[in-house]
Amino acid sequence: MRQRAEQLAATLPPLLVAAERVASTVAQGVHGRRRVGQGDSFWQFRHYAFGDSARGIDWRQSAKSDHVYVRETEWEAAQSVWLWRDASASMRYRSDRSLPEKAERAELVLLALASLLADSGEQVALLGGLRAPARGRAVLDRLIDELGRTAHDESLPPDIALPRFGATVWIGDFLSPLPEIEAALARYTGRGIRGYMLQILDPAEASLPFNGRVRFDGMEGEASTLITRVDAVRDDYRGRFQAHQDGLKALAQLAGWHYSAHVTDQGPEKALMDLYIGLSQAGDRR
Amino acid sequence: MMSLGPLAFATPWVLLALAVLPVLIWLLRVVPPAPKRLSFPAIRLLYDLKPRDETSATTPWWLILLRVLLAALVILALAHPLLNPRAQLVGGGPMVLVIDDGWAAGHDWQARQEAADELLAQADRTNRPVILLTTAPNRDGAPGTLNRLRAEEARSQVQALLPKPWPADRQALADWLESQTLPSSAESFWLSDGLDGPGVAALATRLQRLGALTVLEPEGGSLPRLAFPPESGVDGLTATVARAPGIGPSSLWLRAVAADGRILAREQVDFPVGEVAAQKRIVLPTELRNEIARLEIENDSTAGSVALIDERWRRRPVGLVSETSFQASQPLLSELHYLDQALSPFSEVRRGRIEALLERDLAVIVLPDSGALAGPEREALQRWVRNGGVLLRFAGPILSSAVEEGGEQSLVPVPLRQGGRLLGGALSWSQPARLAPFSAASPFHGLAIPADVTVQRQVLAQPSLDLGERTWAALEDGTPLVTAGAEGEGRLVLVHTTASPDWTNLPLSGLFVQMLQRVVALSQGVQGARGDQPLPPVETLDGFGRLTAPSAATQALPPGLEEPRFGPALPPGFYGSDQSRVAVNLAPAIAAVTPMVQLPSGIARLGYERGEEVDLRPFLFTGAMILLLLDLLVSLLLRGLLPMRRARGMAAILALLAGGGLAQPAQAQSDDRFALAASLNTVLAYVRTGDSTVDEASREGLTGLSRALERRTAVEPGEPMGVDIETDELAFFPLLYWPVATSQGGLSPAAIGRVNSYLRTGGTIVFDTRDQGEVGFGGGGPGLQRLQQIAHGLDIPQLEPVPPEHVLTKTFYLMDSFPGRFTGGTVWVERPGGRGNDEVSSVIVGSHDWAAAWAVDQAGRYRYPVVPGGEAQREWAYRFGVNLVMYALTGNYKADQVHVPSILERLGQ
Repeated sequence: MRQRAEQLAATLPPLLVAAERVASTVAQGVHGRRRVGQGDSFWQFRHYAFGDSARGIDWRQSAKSDHVYVRETEWEAAQSVWLWRDASASMRYRSDRSLPEKAERAELVLLALASLLADSGEQVALLGGLRAPARGRAVLDRLIDELGRTAHDESLPPDIALPRFGATVWIGDFLSPLPEIEAALARYTGRGIRGYMLQILDPAEASLPFNGRVRFDGMEGEASTLITRVDAVRDDYRGRFQAHQDGLKALAQLAGWHYSAHVTDQGPEKALMDLYIGLSQAGDRR
Repeated sequence: MMSLGPLAFATPWVLLALAVLPVLIWLLRVVPPAPKRLSFPAIRLLYDLKPRDETSATTPWWLILLRVLLAALVILALAHPLLNPRAQLVGGGPMVLVIDDGWAAGHDWQARQEAADELLAQADRTNRPVILLTTAPNRDGAPGTLNRLRAEEARSQVQALLPKPWPADRQALADWLESQTLPSSAESFWLSDGLDGPGVAALATRLQRLGALTVLEPEGGSLPRLAFPPESGVDGLTATVARAPGIGPSSLWLRAVAADGRILAREQVDFPVGEVAAQKRIVLPTELRNEIARLEIENDSTAGSVALIDERWRRRPVGLVSETSFQASQPLLSELHYLDQALSPFSEVRRGRIEALLERDLAVIVLPDSGALAGPEREALQRWVRNGGVLLRFAGPILSSAVEEGGEQSLVPVPLRQGGRLLGGALSWSQPARLAPFSAASPFHGLAIPADVTVQRQVLAQPSLDLGERTWAALEDGTPLVTAGAEGEGRLVLVHTTASPDWTNLPLSGLFVQMLQRVVALSQGVQGARGDQPLPPVETLDGFGRLTAPSAATQALPPGLEEPRFGPALPPGFYGSDQSRVAVNLAPAIAAVTPMVQLPSGIARLGYERGEEVDLRPFLFTGAMILLLLDLLVSLLLRGLLPMRRARGMAAILALLAGGGLAQPAQAQSDDRFALAASLNTVLAYVRTGDSTVDEASREGLTGLSRALERRTAVEPGEPMGVDIETDELAFFPLLYWPVATSQGGLSPAAIGRVNSYLRTGGTIVFDTRDQGEVGFGGGGPGLQRLQQIAHGLDIPQLEPVPPEHVLTKTFYLMDSFPGRFTGGTVWVERPGGRGNDEVSSVIVGSHDWAAAWAVDQAGRYRYPVVPGGEAQREWAYRFGVNLVMYALTGNYKADQVHVPSILERLGQ
């Protein structure tokens, strides 16, 4: 899984999450703030002033002239991204054996994203996970470990108080009723958290390709329903499905989040690209 | 048990369940098929969705059909259908087995015994006692015993049972049973012969009173047939056969068999539709006809299908009245001579005085020209004729003069006129008279009259009203020549001319013999020696229609018994003495074959002639199981539980199998490829032996040799080829290297033929026995022995060791030995002056394992060490190879080159 995720991530340029100005987050990242601060990148030399730490003196530069220079670095702030994927039973679905399960695809995309973020120095954590955001390649192993351990049966993210102006990426099928999604969304948007929703869908969910008399069972304890002729209700279903997706899109727009849908018969790169573009645009827009 | 033709159901009431099928159809139609079950995450979106057009989902009609068929099969199977059912023991209590063992049983006794055996086996299994009864009267009188036998004992008794040659007497058995106390409940089986007769109903009723009764009977077509004693006709026997009524057209073969078993005649008798009897005339030369001992119906083995033939149907003893029983000194002048000659081929001729003749039975007495008989003689003769004898008289001078004297008018059929008639004499204008054609009423009718038969003298009959009726033969002018008249039961026949050529040349013609034959045939024949004495049995028929020695119980045939009552004391057969047998036939007593038609109701009737009983239950259950599996499959498919990909995989497998059939043309292509590869280049070839090590060495060896040839000579051979001697074409190769592997088998005849034609048409084969390293004292290694086996049948010419000046020693390199991997052995070539072929030896035999010496691997390294060693030896091996190829390719060119110096020398002169 990790290998595949990293292979997937390697196909995209390192993703830079547009950093957001967040006062509360002091963690340093590679997003240059274009002003002096803590960071790795050189920003400027300036004359030594009293009070500067002796460790800040750039001795090589100082030796070139009579003045003592202090090397200042650009203030870099790291973005913390909380990732969440739907681990409920409905994600363990595939309509055809040749397709991956939705959950598998979701975890793949999540890990690929985490790999990209880690490469670009962002801090990554699993939303609802036990650990604080961390950076570096090692975070991938932690994520995999946590993915295996956490098995939520809720199909929407738990209400966790994230630091303000954090970013979060939700990957799931978002087939819950819209009000529930809206409520979940509202808890996060109220704290100014930026987010991204990737809806993972099976082709069968989008097109309802069945025929004849079918009794459908829910995967999360929903009551079953008998459709006497599936082909007769296909158009109705597609209409409803479209309406649901439109509702999701509207919710996301309202909250300033991004939303995209991904069907498992397409390659995961597509989903990752959507996320990449979405996260970059989010940064650019700010 | 319920039967429908050959099909029966052991538990027929289960069939009532078939009535449920329509309900099942209705139910299946009404209840829609179970829906597919699918898990679906987006189910919330599906809630309350209703199809716009709500048509009721119905089960497809073929599924209904499948399920109804399934149900019907199960019901039928539960009804336990049996094909060709055998009687089944169902109840308890003893089993009463009644076997018809009368004459009709012999026809299919085997089937009867098998049926009894089967029933007894069942009784054995259910451990039930058996009461065995037979219907034919027994030798000891009692119809049977009421002893309860164990099935084993009953079986041995049944096996010892034989059909009797007399009719079954059911009435007697029924009466006897009435007087006995029988078990109150028993199950009865009557293995009947299918013939009706007195007591059938009585016996059936009696048996039915005990419990269930099953009657086994043969089908109408296999009822026995009767062969009646034939009627003696003028020129043959007319046989009558009878069969059971109610059968369509059928035919049988009737055989006339001699006493020693020779079949004298075999005639097909056809029964017209609806007829129970058919007649067939058996025409045989009299000599053969007299040999007939019995007429029998082919493939029928009952006492009724045999008609025994005794003296009555046979040679008729003819008495020839003469004063002496000796031959006359001038036989050609004697009437007796002509009569004797004419009669003896077909009848027994006795000569003697009248009294002597009358002592024994005679069919015909021939009285040559004679005058008045003495009183006692005449009376005795008259009495004999009245009792049925035929007296044949001939006229002549004595009779004529007796008539002249007005005496003799007794023992003649018509009164005679005084004075004879002389035709064509020396003093007469008239011509000798010819015979007129025989009238239809005459027994001579149909006989051809030779043109040269004339009558010169005769005696004349007194004209009377009935003269015409009494005339059997007349002259052309109507004068009677043969007259006949009845006398009591017998006949008087008078021929109005002599039996010698005195008055006519008739006795010299064949017509005379034929006429006598007819007259004799007219006679009633001899009734055998049935006098007043009881006749002891000579041979009696058994139940299968075979003649056997009479048993002790057989009594003598009482005299004067016209319709014998057959039984143990009187079976059909021959009675009397060896000299004069009386045939007592069964068929006239039976008279007709009447099948058992009416039986009291409630009796199960089964046949013998059935195939094996087949229990159809397993087949039906298997069918139902297959349908069930099919239904399961269909249900799974309908409910979407069966991945369709499997089906696709199956199709792929099928396509693969079908594709296997297309692989055939590839063979032809590979043949062409082989031919092209072998002929586009000069190619060295080796014979594949099947031993992979040897074959690999050969290939590598020829590769090495090819390289050496390429480097050193103008020959540029292609890649060496392996040749399968059994299948590949050899004609492409100038040289064939044939290593002898001990594992190689012999050659097939086809391969031998092809190798021989290869050798004849200029091919060269190098046999390499490769065994120089193993040669023992005898001078031959294992390879040589193998070679001898392989080459057996090959057209190998006479061989000799390579002579010193052989072309092989100088085709390219000059060499005097031919080492390979080994050295020191002898190389053999064809003795020169053989078959032409440019003086190239067609066979070269050696043991040096040359290929191993030439063998190189991919990198050009030598594969095998040479023995005893040294690169010089390998070089010589290569040189031999080069010489060999050159030899095969150039033939005697090099041999001619040898002579170039001397030719040049001559030219120089």
